[in-house]
Amino acid sequence: MPWTPAAKRYNVRLILLTLLYGVFLTSAVYGFKHHLVGGAVAWVVATLPALPLIGVFAAMGRYLVEEQDEYVRMLLVRQMLWGMGFALSCATVWGFLEGFDLIRHIDGYWIVAAWYFGQGIGACVNRVTLGARVACS
Amino acid sequence: MIAAKQSDYTPAQRAHIRRTLWLLLAYVIVLPPLVWYQAHHHVSHGVSVAMAIVASLPLLGIFASWGRYLSDERDEYHQAVTLRRNAIATNATMGAAVVWGFLQAFEVMPLIEAYWIPFVWVVAQGISSCIPFCFRGRRGA
Repeated sequence: MPWTPAAKRYNVRLILLTLLYGVFLTSAVYGFKHHLVGGAVAWVVATLPALPLIGVFAAMGRYLVEEQDEYVRMLLVRQMLWGMGFALSCATVWGFLEGFDLIRHIDGYWIVAAWYFGQGIGACVNRVTLGARVACS
Repeated sequence: MIAAKQSDYTPAQRAHIRRTLWLLLAYVIVLPPLVWYQAHHHVSHGVSVAMAIVASLPLLGIFASWGRYLSDERDEYHQAVTLRRNAIATNATMGAAVVWGFLQAFEVMPLIEAYWIPFVWVVAQGISSCIPFCFRGRRGA
């Protein structure tokens, strides 16, 4: 399936945000490892790597708005719904396992990893049930 | 009046609300005894795992009910509104999770149980469903 113009723009945004993420994360890890930050600055530096990832979510929203091909948009929405259901289910089960003191706490960003994994499952479901493949994401 | 209000809902919405209410009832019935039993008895690891999964099942059912609703809904406008709300809530929740996650990783904030993520999602859905009303009010004024 050829990439639509909206998908191309989304991929450009995604690459730029990923590069920014790499820079911010490396800087934050370096800063904390060498005790260069403290107090209120620590909060800002810890939040920095999250900002490009939030930008990725915004880029996905923007892509859904910009995409003119309704079929491609429907595939992506299905994919995102699978991701959402999977991530929320993982968070709920993990949360109760933590609540009953059975497993250790995890950092919140693993939920986002579960969301992306769930989107991968959604893409497979699209492929199996509709024989469709989305070019991006 | 109630009958008039009920007629505003599509059949898929009514089914989803019915399923959600049953699942919330199951959740309210199941959770307190499990928490009480865990607090007052020495429970083996395997039983604790089973208890934790049983406690989460009604909530998983609610997520499944959302999916079922979206597939059952024949009114395209309602379907689009729900999808939009879900997308906003999901992105807001993932944003919160990623910020909290990095604050945890850099030991700036304490660790929290993961079930707060679905809680944030539900709150975000509520807020995103209020947004059109706010704009409508502004337009009306």
